[in-house]
Amino acid sequence: MIVGDLKPMDEIAASIAGFEKLLVLGCGGCVTVCRAGGDAEAHDLARELAHPRHHAGRPPELVVQTIERQCEHDLLEKYLELPEGTDAILSLACGAGVQIVADVFEPLPVIPALSTTFIGGADEPGVWREKCQGCGDCLLATTAGICPIALCAKRLLNGPCGGSQDGRCEVNPDTPCAWARIHDRLEAQGRLELMDEFRPPRDWRKAGARVPRERRRTGIELR
Amino acid sequence: MMESFFQVNERCTGCLACVQNCPARALDYRDEGDTRTLLHNMARCARCATCWRVCPEDAIEFQHLLVNRWDEVVRLPLLRCAVCGDPVHTARLPEALDESVRELTEPPLCDRHRARHHGRTQALALAGATKTRPGSTS
Repeated sequence: MIVGDLKPMDEIAASIAGFEKLLVLGCGGCVTVCRAGGDAEAHDLARELAHPRHHAGRPPELVVQTIERQCEHDLLEKYLELPEGTDAILSLACGAGVQIVADVFEPLPVIPALSTTFIGGADEPGVWREKCQGCGDCLLATTAGICPIALCAKRLLNGPCGGSQDGRCEVNPDTPCAWARIHDRLEAQGRLELMDEFRPPRDWRKAGARVPRERRRTGIELR
Repeated sequence: MMESFFQVNERCTGCLACVQNCPARALDYRDEGDTRTLLHNMARCARCATCWRVCPEDAIEFQHLLVNRWDEVVRLPLLRCAVCGDPVHTARLPEALDESVRELTEPPLCDRHRARHHGRTQALALAGATKTRPGSTS
């Protein structure tokens, strides 16, 4: 899922200064599950922002709504009704959601309440860790399901480097060495020969060097 | 009433740990008289399993939220091909079509037999036109 963090309250308060009525818009997708931008967080944020200490003048009127996903144009167009008099939207979606809300309701200002951090997963309840950098050329088939692009500090395609010590990374000894993990898991799978397979330099354009990236799936016609 | 996707077993004590921890606010409760009722809202539910993780009694039967079940949505009268009996479209569909094309749905025919039917219709029309053509010897 996409993981995000709520921005510092001072930053959010500064970014909404001057607006009189804001829609505080939660997203029911990834950021709900990672507890950063769902309905509960939208209500908490509105409650906090309603306090006069965050504002030089009168606090703005804050209306809270949550929609299933902010990253879909047609869903927003059809089902998101702006409260009358809304002069800005404070979105708790990821960066994709914020931009799509801004497109749909242009020219209404749309302000992010989160910083999008990474594509990750919950390794344990309440702990989300980065797993994927969306490089566009997945190599997990030969790396035992462990991504060296996301998890190796040097993004090595042919690791480990000399800084791998006792299964730890030299950049941060608290971090497991991705390539040591790949080695150990391949060994457990009986596929250690994959460690000897040379992985040539990659075409990093697939990783977004030619932004923005786009994917088109055929057979999904507009109704 | 359709069985809820969210189900608890007899160990549920109504402690509300699931309600308090649901990130999507998909769980709620109602205290009325001498009864506490646990409520679940499938449209809000992200199926993240937080409820299942936090339940101190292991009372949440989360497998029902993972079940691959098809719910019946609507039943409509179906028209079948007048020749072979294959399903063609619902009886409601022609009502939604513009008048200019509605007659093409009569009689209901599958793609295969519609092609034959219209081919024959065109052939008959052509034959008729040939017969009535001035100066025709046929």
